[in-house]
Amino acid sequence: MNAVIAIGVIATVLVLTFGLGIFGVRRVTMDPEQFIVGGRSFGAVFLWLLLAGEIYTSFAFLGAAGWAYGRGAPAFYILCYGTVAYILSYFLLPPIWRLARRHDLLTGPDFFVQQYGSRGLGALVALVGFVFLVPYVTLQLTGVQVLLGIAGYGALNSLGAVALAFALVVAFVFGTGLRGVAWASVVKDALVLIAVVFVGVALPIRFFGSPAAVVDHLLAKYPHWTTLTGDTSNNGVIWFVSTVVLTALGFFMWPQSAAAIYSAKSEETLRRNAIALPLYQLMFLFVYFAGYTALLVMPGLKGPAADQSFMLVIAKYYSPWLLGFVAAAGCLAGLVPASVQILAAASIVSKNVLGDMLGLAKSSEDQTRATRVLVLVVAFLAFMFWAFAKTTLVGLLLISYNGITQLFPGAVLSFARVRPSPAGVAAGIITGIVALAAFAFTGTTIVAGINIGVVALTVNFAVTFAVGYLVNVRVPALSPEGSSE
Amino acid sequence: MNPVKSKTTLLTAAIALVPVLALTLGIPLANRVDPRIFGMPFLPAYIAFWILLTPPIMLAVYRLERRA
Repeated sequence: MNAVIAIGVIATVLVLTFGLGIFGVRRVTMDPEQFIVGGRSFGAVFLWLLLAGEIYTSFAFLGAAGWAYGRGAPAFYILCYGTVAYILSYFLLPPIWRLARRHDLLTGPDFFVQQYGSRGLGALVALVGFVFLVPYVTLQLTGVQVLLGIAGYGALNSLGAVALAFALVVAFVFGTGLRGVAWASVVKDALVLIAVVFVGVALPIRFFGSPAAVVDHLLAKYPHWTTLTGDTSNNGVIWFVSTVVLTALGFFMWPQSAAAIYSAKSEETLRRNAIALPLYQLMFLFVYFAGYTALLVMPGLKGPAADQSFMLVIAKYYSPWLLGFVAAAGCLAGLVPASVQILAAASIVSKNVLGDMLGLAKSSEDQTRATRVLVLVVAFLAFMFWAFAKTTLVGLLLISYNGITQLFPGAVLSFARVRPSPAGVAAGIITGIVALAAFAFTGTTIVAGINIGVVALTVNFAVTFAVGYLVNVRVPALSPEGSSE
Repeated sequence: MNPVKSKTTLLTAAIALVPVLALTLGIPLANRVDPRIFGMPFLPAYIAFWILLTPPIMLAVYRLERRA
């Protein structure tokens, strides 16, 4: 009975939210420009929701609490990287937006094609985005599976549930494109905010009287839980700083970030968002308090199981109605970003690889059709990754970020007075990813205390410089910056 | 298209760099439990303090770039 109530609440919330998304787009015709970048007409509020969607995901909801529960202070890196990324975005996004507006860019890889005059580089960037979105989508999928498993009180087949959840999300992406997703984000953000404040305040009060008292108990039992230990082999200070830098640089390299940037109405919208968005980070504090409470009330969860921490506490001590509501918010936090990510991964491959590079899908009808087929491919790959790679949610996020950040050198050097050659940028990206693969093969995530993503990024920069400036003669850009202003 | 021009100067970039440095290289210096602030251990309180400070700092950058 408990399971029926909890799952029933989840189903109702999901149907209503997706219904709103479909209602929101009922009169919009779906050409690729609408489907992928929402007709470039999103004002501050819609854009806020899309950009913040990056933060309010399964990762925020469960993963951050999981690390607060399982590792302690390393989880604070999440507070820092978003803030640093927003500061960078204030300077980086307006020029990208101007370029996109002037040349009608549709995807992230289009930016590379425009700046370097190379479709091959665009196709490479598209493939990198596609590949490293898969673990990110898997992260969302894992979050949904965890929530449905707990809400089913053990009675629900989580594999079946997760397959169903993904079928829902694919159907939603098919029906609405980016605009519908932005509508669904409105509901998602509101519900997640309520749920996060609840778990971060109500749980500590119920078990310990106040959030501050949780810290007292935590420090009494685990005195080093809120500081980084000096140990360089595992998530020490150097790891922390290197990971903040790496993830902040990669933050806007995602294909879905390009879609969000291009959908802005003006560059002013982007600047205002960059100023205000850091405040959104503070909600992670609530998530940490939920994780700490769970650690004290229900210790002993190991590895990926730590991601379930505070949800298990709710399942054990609260009513199924409340569990259903919190789990529904969490499911949306997984499904809505998953829709955005799947859509982005599919559209870059259909446009930049199949369309521009191989000439297979030229007309916009063909590209919309190819995008829809690729949506299924991404969903399937993410599903396979979920079935075979079992790691924590934060672990999945770090795999994704290590890869996507390899696009940063090419993106930032494209604004340099003298650009590197496209071959140099491509060589840098490929070397960086080969380095990551080598580390992954040996099971290494930290070298001398440093996040391996930073090691790969350094190699990437070095190769980009060496090949891009020294070996090749520089290739003049397709169109000189600022020519039409 | 773009009536008000924004211009990034050395000064505005330097101002924006302050919270960036505080949240990266500043972390080792803040890596401690005491003093606790509103019950929070020092490290997360320090990070939260800089997050709260970032919007006003970036607003100042925005205003300065308008005038430049």
